Amino acid sequence: MSLLSLLAADPSETHHWLLPETAEIIYGGIASVLVIGGLVKFAGPMVKKSMAARTERIQKELDASANDLASAQSDAAGIRTALGDIDAERARLLADANAQAEALLRDGRARLTAEVAELEAKADADISAAAARRGDELRTEIGRVSSSALDKVLPSVLDEATQQALVENFISKVGASR
Amino acid sequence: MSDSRIEGYARALFEIARAEGTIDEVEDELFRLARTLESSDALRNALTDEKIPAARRQGIVEDLLGGKATVTTTQLVSMVVGGGRGRDLPAIIDKLVQRASREKKLEVAEVRSAVALTADQQTRLAAALANATGKQVNLKVIVDPSVLGGIVATVGDTVIDGSIRTRLDNVKGRL
Repeated sequence: MSLLSLLAADPSETHHWLLPETAEIIYGGIASVLVIGGLVKFAGPMVKKSMAARTERIQKELDASANDLASAQSDAAGIRTALGDIDAERARLLADANAQAEALLRDGRARLTAEVAELEAKADADISAAAARRGDELRTEIGRVSSSALDKVLPSVLDEATQQALVENFISKVGASR
Repeated sequence: MSDSRIEGYARALFEIARAEGTIDEVEDELFRLARTLESSDALRNALTDEKIPAARRQGIVEDLLGGKATVTTTQLVSMVVGGGRGRDLPAIIDKLVQRASREKKLEVAEVRSAVALTADQQTRLAAALANATGKQVNLKVIVDPSVLGGIVATVGDTVIDGSIRTRLDNVKGRL
């Protein structure tokens, strides 16, 4: 049906049970064209701008995610490297600790052996000194007692006859010497 | 006192004793007195104490020697002590004895014995010492109980020790 026939038709007559009236279609069509045109003219740039901004935001998020992923992978690599270093360091520290413990043990044994030897020597020296001191004390005591005994006995032994005999003996010996 | 003063006193005493004609007795008495002074602190202190008046010290000398020694000896000692030289009396006497011995061309032989020696023993001992040392000796006998027994004879630098004291000390040392 042409547009002219629609314009010429009776507006109060319904021509189809489903379709609207021809004028309604015309006015509706024109209104729709106007509305759509307005939408395209005025809302289109805004929607377009919004879509572009959204696209840009999504791109940024994608880039950030990619960067985060790269960073995470780098960190993971670093951590894996560090883990390897830690293992090596732990092994080195353990080796050092073992070496130091061995050296300490060796020194301790040597020092202990030396101290034991020194203590034994000191004990031997103390025993010898004590024995010598006892011996000296005993000899001193014997000497003191003997001296005392001699001092007490001599006056009774050295009577006049003995004194004269000693004098005569001295004169004889001196006279005979030259 | 200096050696020269001691020598001077010794010479003076010697000359006085020789002039008196009693040098042998005086020499002998003085020698015994010197040894007594050496062995008696109390007597030495009494004769050398400057706080005791000289007259008192001389009185002590006269009490000590009066009747036991010749007058010359007593007067000589009294003179030295009164002059405040009591401290040097042993040294003066030793010089006098040496001088007297030199005059007689003898060497002083100091003999310490625990008991007194008889004249015969002294004669034989002098001969024995002369034989042993090759010197004629002027025997000076000192009775010294500390010797205990036997004799110690000193002639110049030579000491002949036959005393029980020395033997006893040796035994004690070994003990």
